[in-house]
Amino acid sequence: MHTIQVEHLSKSFGKTIAVNDVSFNVERGKIFGLLGPNGAGKTTTIRMINYIMPQDQGKIIINGIPVSPKTQKMIGYMPEERGLYKKMKVGEQLIYLAQLKGMTTADARTKIKYWLKRFGAEDWHGKVVGELSKGMSQKIQFISTIVHDPDIYIFDEPFSGLDPINSELLKEIIIELRKEGKTILFSTHRMEQVEQMCDDICLFNNGKVVLTGNLRNVKKDFGKNTVLLEFQGDDSFLDTFENVRINNRSTNFAEIRILGDLNHQDILHTAMKHAEVHKFQLVEPSLNEIFISTVGEDNIKSQEALLS
Amino acid sequence: MNWRQIFLVLRREYITRVRSKGFIWATILVPLGFAAFIGVMVFIQVWESDETFEIGVKDETGQIFQSLYDINPDRYLDQMDLSLDSLRSMVQTDDLTGYIIISEENVSAGQNPELIYSGSGGMEFLMSVESDLREVIREEKLRRADVSDDVKQIYDERISLNSRRLTREGLEEDDDTVFLSFVGFLLGIVIFISIFSYGGYVTRGVIEEKTNRIVEVIASSVRPIELLIGKMAGVGALAITQFGIWIITFTGLSAIAGPIALSLMESSSQMTGDMAAVEAELPAFLDLPSLPPSLIIYFILFFILGYLLYSSLFAAIGSAADSETDTQQLMMPVALPIFISYFIMFHTWRSPDSILSVVSSIIPFFSPILMVTRIAITEVPFWQIATAIILMIITFAGTMWVSSKIYKVGILSYGSTASYKDLLRWIKQS
Repeated sequence: MHTIQVEHLSKSFGKTIAVNDVSFNVERGKIFGLLGPNGAGKTTTIRMINYIMPQDQGKIIINGIPVSPKTQKMIGYMPEERGLYKKMKVGEQLIYLAQLKGMTTADARTKIKYWLKRFGAEDWHGKVVGELSKGMSQKIQFISTIVHDPDIYIFDEPFSGLDPINSELLKEIIIELRKEGKTILFSTHRMEQVEQMCDDICLFNNGKVVLTGNLRNVKKDFGKNTVLLEFQGDDSFLDTFENVRINNRSTNFAEIRILGDLNHQDILHTAMKHAEVHKFQLVEPSLNEIFISTVGEDNIKSQEALLS
Repeated sequence: MNWRQIFLVLRREYITRVRSKGFIWATILVPLGFAAFIGVMVFIQVWESDETFEIGVKDETGQIFQSLYDINPDRYLDQMDLSLDSLRSMVQTDDLTGYIIISEENVSAGQNPELIYSGSGGMEFLMSVESDLREVIREEKLRRADVSDDVKQIYDERISLNSRRLTREGLEEDDDTVFLSFVGFLLGIVIFISIFSYGGYVTRGVIEEKTNRIVEVIASSVRPIELLIGKMAGVGALAITQFGIWIITFTGLSAIAGPIALSLMESSSQMTGDMAAVEAELPAFLDLPSLPPSLIIYFILFFILGYLLYSSLFAAIGSAADSETDTQQLMMPVALPIFISYFIMFHTWRSPDSILSVVSSIIPFFSPILMVTRIAITEVPFWQIATAIILMIITFAGTMWVSSKIYKVGILSYGSTASYKDLLRWIKQS
């Protein structure tokens, strides 16, 4: 049985089709990445999984039951648009949010105490949230997401707006949760974050799933046909290659994806003729490259979001 | 619908608000403000009567001035000796407010006397001068006609009306219509103000959750309808608490006011030894007609229904707006019926049984203000009250249905305030 099972899910707002016949499965104990540019339909899908929004069509099954108030309690959700009650005290607020997830007050107290201590924030209990710094309230937000110890964790664009320390902290939490056998689903438009963390991925574009599966397998399928080149000198030779796509190009670096039958050794020879080569490496394509070659450059809804 | 979730939301709404400084201050200051308001009104009354306007009277008949002087010696000055030009210049330099020349024609030929004045004093001043003149000229005419004292006395009589109510049960009661009219007027205003202020709490609460961006976290645990009901009930409980405190304080104060007054009088009367006088005096001293309990019950009932009706709409407005300043444009259609009923109240207060009053007091959006005003003042047939209540409940079901649809979509729509077209689409959509 899959932990989250999404079948032929659709949702429109007026004439805009936000999510169009989407299906994917999330396995127990895995980190699942929902990827795609801004506006691809990730947040809408996540809201439907969280039973915040009703779907127009399709089914969402969580631990064997269709989404309902009951499945809401199995999930810890951190939305992209995050926030807390500014005028409430940290402790009261966390207890309130935990109670809404079905915890008893006593249980909530113990857990909150544990997490506050874990984050070095024991003495924040009586502080009003509005007085906390941004980084501090982000920590409170994490606690509010995980305090009821759910089976499933859903983070929508979790790293956007986080300071570097909290970014690391969140990564640690996610990896720790996976070790405990929890299931994690997160969405992002920053592909490089996925490479480091995800087991499985699902690529979204224009409301549709364009690719889904195990990250390693997906990458393997695309083959080792990407060259990482570090050099010193004039980079105009890069423009002479045909049938390639160059990503991450800068004055002394280029990621070259070979699309045709060009030999990678030819690239090395040309480069050595024109510049001083510091590094030449043959790798699997990056997720960014996989995404672009799957949907085609012209079909990407929000190009600048991808390349940021 | 999960009642535990609703209760949790309700409790948070209630507790965070009831502890807030704003609530505590409002609870203390509103009665003080009310007392101050009444104080100011009394002060204005007193102040007004102190003001004098001096009128020069050139009495060519020689008979009239004395009577005017007897009525108001501060106002009427004998200026028989002054010329017309000097009277005019005195008015121009503000030494006099105005002048009147009373000629023989004013008495014998029924010609209206004329006041030439600087324009200050307003309507009340003009009316009192008019009635003074009417009285003295009539008096002079009667004197000249040489009528008997009996006839003169008839003219001096002021006949007023005493009224007693005969109830359906056949009991005659003292009529407190004048007192109750003021009560009805006051209760109408109280409902008017409280619908706006508690409704405003609901709107701001919804917007706060939206702008804080906490609403999506909450929505992942609570159904929007549960959140909406919990919110409205929480603020409603707050309203009842506040009114409860005011009513208890008020009745408590008036309850101890009696014994305190009595003991003060006793201690002073022990010296004179005149206990019987105290016993007789006290009831008159504290003899404000009491409010019928049914009126208080209806007031609370109509307040609650009115609050529910309007706060459901206020919540929808909050969810559709992106910031507090953006609520203005959406607020208009909801505020309009409240204002209309407020203006109709000025009519209802005077004639509570007119067709306009009866019909509009049954219209659900007007009932909270107008029906309470009518119940206070007049004997409203029970079918009218029942119809108003039933219609309000039905309308509330309708507004709640509409609002919950707007609310459900609105709380998750960030970035722009919805137009009426959007709202219509939201209602149809879900």
